[in-house]
Amino acid sequence: MYKRSILLFGYGSHGKFVAKGLQEDGFLLKIIESNHDYYLQAKDDGFMEVEHMDVTNDRLLEVLDPQNYEKLVCVMEDEHLNVFLTLSLRSLFKESYILSISDSIHTTKKLKMAGANKVIDLYEVSANKIHNILKRPVATKLLEGFVSKKDGIGFKEMIVPQNSFLEGKTTDEIDFSPYGVLLIGMIDEMLGHTFVFITAGINHELNHGDTIVCIGSEESLNAFAEEIKKEESIL
Amino acid sequence: MKQIFLSFALKLRNSKRYKEAKAYIWELLNGTSNPYKKYLDIFIIFLIVTSVFILVYEVTNPVPVWLDYYDFYFVSFVFFLEYILRLWVHNDLSKYIVEEYRDAQFLHREFELWPVLKQGLKEKLNYMITPSAIVDLLAIFPAYRPLRVLRIFVLFRMLKLLRYTKSINQFVEVINNKRFELLTLLFLLFFIVITAGIAIYVLEERINPQITSLFDAVYWSLVTITTVGYGDVAPVTDAGRAISMLTIIAGIGMISFATSVIVSAFSERLNEIKESRIIEQVNKSKSFLIICGYGQMAKMFFRQRRDQLDNYVILDKDIKRVEQAKKDGYKVVQEDASRFEILSKFNVKHANITILCLTASDVENIYITLNAKSISRKMKVIARVNDINIVSKFEYAGADHLLMPNQVVNTMISTAITQPTMYKAIHAILTGKSIARIDEMHVHEEHSLVGKSVGELDFKKNKLLFIGLERKGEFFFNPPATEIIQNYDILLLMGRKISLEYFRDIHEGIR
Repeated sequence: MYKRSILLFGYGSHGKFVAKGLQEDGFLLKIIESNHDYYLQAKDDGFMEVEHMDVTNDRLLEVLDPQNYEKLVCVMEDEHLNVFLTLSLRSLFKESYILSISDSIHTTKKLKMAGANKVIDLYEVSANKIHNILKRPVATKLLEGFVSKKDGIGFKEMIVPQNSFLEGKTTDEIDFSPYGVLLIGMIDEMLGHTFVFITAGINHELNHGDTIVCIGSEESLNAFAEEIKKEESIL
Repeated sequence: MKQIFLSFALKLRNSKRYKEAKAYIWELLNGTSNPYKKYLDIFIIFLIVTSVFILVYEVTNPVPVWLDYYDFYFVSFVFFLEYILRLWVHNDLSKYIVEEYRDAQFLHREFELWPVLKQGLKEKLNYMITPSAIVDLLAIFPAYRPLRVLRIFVLFRMLKLLRYTKSINQFVEVINNKRFELLTLLFLLFFIVITAGIAIYVLEERINPQITSLFDAVYWSLVTITTVGYGDVAPVTDAGRAISMLTIIAGIGMISFATSVIVSAFSERLNEIKESRIIEQVNKSKSFLIICGYGQMAKMFFRQRRDQLDNYVILDKDIKRVEQAKKDGYKVVQEDASRFEILSKFNVKHANITILCLTASDVENIYITLNAKSISRKMKVIARVNDINIVSKFEYAGADHLLMPNQVVNTMISTAITQPTMYKAIHAILTGKSIARIDEMHVHEEHSLVGKSVGELDFKKNKLLFIGLERKGEFFFNPPATEIIQNYDILLLMGRKISLEYFRDIHEGIR
């Protein structure tokens, strides 16, 4: 399997932006499109790996070798086709990671039933943002900046390495501020694979293999990621 | 004489207080946004109801003298005052005079008072002959007790009530729209009544003792044609009965025609009436939302609301989507929000309006944004942007906040691919799940937080994460413990809803 490789189905109104975004983030991209106009559009936009094919044909899908891609992203313009494609991919390739987008609550349900690993609802977050803007305009604006890393501050997840100085310490004990980062939450592997926010009020003990999510400026985050690899004795 | 008028007009024109007072009274009598208008209306309605009650009670019972005085002097005086004020605020004579004077000066011609005064007074007269002004005038005359016929004037007080009942106004408006049909019908009715009346008069005048004059005959004819049929006057000859039968048949036809005209007029206007009610209702609140476009985004918005949302109205020009919104139980008006007249119907001056442009078309959203901002800069616009490349256009148009579903999806997809753990975190933060709300706290002048250092405030104890603060538009991430909190800082905090609310409660107090 190639790392950071994506098989993108659909180059419609949403696919166009997804493809551009993924390309900018440095992913290896292959675009599949069944609509001839969109296919030509993708070619026009300078994507090299574009294929025009009938996605309802299982044999053609098999030829694509989706197992070789890290993730399969389904963003077909026609939502029926999108659900059908998700279902076909799931039935053909049990192991693949399938990500689909949906533009309504009903489609979200269907996509989940069809076996998508993750369904991103186009409007859920945006609609929520309206509520947030109405209630807390400043926080919303800042938060959006964090998520898109616009102002240099962003989120980062890191795995606690073996023998890190963090090991064995509880989240309350460690003072993150000298590193210029804040701990947002973590996955405690001992307690099951769920994400816990630091503000939930539970004191966790960090072990190697745990995932922590921090917020901070990009340099601080990178520096901190290096820092946690060090052993306590070195510090 | 001319000089006196002119100097008086100039003085009034230059007086700010005079103009303000006039505008205030206009708003009080005719406007919608004056908060005291409601009380004035209730007061006038009270006067009307009591004076009518007194008259009806008086028919069989003696009333105390003070009640007569109340009715005769007080109520009449208030109505007189109201009439004069309405007449006064109808137009501005001083304005006309001053304008004419300035024009005359500019053109070096002699200033003539009479033409402008005539023009202004003519406008006042035009107002005076409108039905509502006539009713107002007649309602002033009290029910002069000794002369029984004059009591009928109290009826005009009843008619005055119409001014305060919206539905009657709408009824009149609807009827007015079908004027042509109804007038035709009336003419037809008149024709048949007269013809049948003459016929019966000629046929039965000598034979029928009940019909002694043409008036009796016409009375019979009208009673018959309207299917009322008192029976006090009835035909006695075969020819007269034949005329009766024809009249009755014509009557049934005419009544069903009249009914259908009125019903169809109402059904045509019903939607419009309902919609104008919705707009009126929402205009009464101090702050409200105008949601343009009822698509997936708007549906999602309503689905996600956690608390009751009352002050909103949906505008959509597509009938199908409007029907859908109605079915879903929302307040919707079928209008095009990009039209100037539509948005200016809202109480722009006195209410905080937030417009959500959620249509699927960027062009439309930009147009609505521009439209809203051209009406008032005060209106807040939250616009949906589909094409990320035209964000700058929306900013240029003046949108306050932008929603970019495609960009959000991009972020989510690349996060889901590269950092799956964080996806959950970000998703939870963005959708505001209770364990991970990021909220802001505005520090006002009297806040107990002012002057304290970040270190002093034990955020951890309150199970909150202090992310940073915004000061004068600039954001400081994770400021050092020595940083002192100032007036108007905005703190960015993360935590559960209850932690945030608790923290707010204990610090919101006065220093």
